Amino acid sequence: MKEFNVNGSIVSIALFADVSNSRELLDSIQAGTLETEVALLNASLIPDIFPVLAAAYNALIAKSRATLKTRTLHSELVYNYSGSKHITESLKRCGISDKTTYILAVYFGSSNEQMKGLEKVIKGKLIDLEELEARADRVQILKHYKITSQELAISSLSDSITCRIAVRDAL
Amino acid sequence: MEIDKEQMESFGVLVKQGAEARVFESNFVGRRSIVKERFSKKYRHPSLDSKLTLKRLNAEARCMTKARKVGVPTPVLYSIDPLFHTLTLEFVEGKSVKDLLLDFGLHGLNEEVVHEIAAQIGDVIAKLHDGGLIHGDLTTSNMIMRDGTNQLVLIDFGLSFTSTIPEDKAVDLYVLERALLSMHSSCGNVMDRILAAYRKSSKQWSSTMNKLAQVRLRGRKRTMLG
Repeated sequence: MKEFNVNGSIVSIALFADVSNSRELLDSIQAGTLETEVALLNASLIPDIFPVLAAAYNALIAKSRATLKTRTLHSELVYNYSGSKHITESLKRCGISDKTTYILAVYFGSSNEQMKGLEKVIKGKLIDLEELEARADRVQILKHYKITSQELAISSLSDSITCRIAVRDAL
Repeated sequence: MEIDKEQMESFGVLVKQGAEARVFESNFVGRRSIVKERFSKKYRHPSLDSKLTLKRLNAEARCMTKARKVGVPTPVLYSIDPLFHTLTLEFVEGKSVKDLLLDFGLHGLNEEVVHEIAAQIGDVIAKLHDGGLIHGDLTTSNMIMRDGTNQLVLIDFGLSFTSTIPEDKAVDLYVLERALLSMHSSCGNVMDRILAAYRKSSKQWSSTMNKLAQVRLRGRKRTMLG
């Protein structure tokens, strides 16, 4: 678990591998019955934490201006990370599904108690954020964000994703 | 033009002020960044002003990211703020090509380095033009050599637009030629080297070069008769 300062707010992030109860997690998130509201992302699409922070930054700005496009701050993060304008599709691809075993959990706020609670709810192995790069699914990322080989020659995966997240609303 | 003190502080340290925008240095979630703010023009009607400003802000962001897609290095776009009209960009560490070339004027020429710079400039512009993008303001101060990797990064897409017409590409190159002539004539003929690299990298070089010859004769503006 790690805390980041995004534009004056604290964002807590934890990475889980070998999660066995993604179906329950998905159900309780969709029903809104989780004790602590949290954003769960499909971590195989995340090669680095920076684009997640950029997406969190945009979500916090939208929240402060009451211009959220989705229902909650946490779902907004998942939507923002996708870099697409299609909300359902975004939540499906960048959020978790029945079969997801590798999950990045993001919580807006910093509370040890709530993060501890989360570690109980998510049945998996807590691993270091440093592992993101090695575990990322490169092929899936290139496909999802439509990153060409020309672009990859001059830019890292993480930077390309950050650009797509930022430019979405300008398109 | 009135500068709002409070707003200025919130963006960071002022680096440069132009006619269309102010540039600040700041920090974006832990990374050194540049904030480019397009300020409002008080002489315009407020609703027209915000529409125009936002349109140009979005156009700039689009062109920058499109340039990356065709393989032209540009600063990473971190965030767009449609309310304050700002772009938050990566801070590219390095010297501008303008400063590099001016240094050669003072301390003698390093042929090899100039050759390398010119080759990169030609290659990058060729990629940009083949991808259907016109930079619109190609000058040596809008190019930065990244420290460490010596990668040429194009900045300031504020006047960019998409076009595949040879005329637009030729004018783009002509603007650069004039800028080189007035700033860096002591560096020898850099433009010839740039064009040689451009020919090598671009698939559509011949029509652009023909057009460039015409543009040289008449200048940047097309004669408008009738």
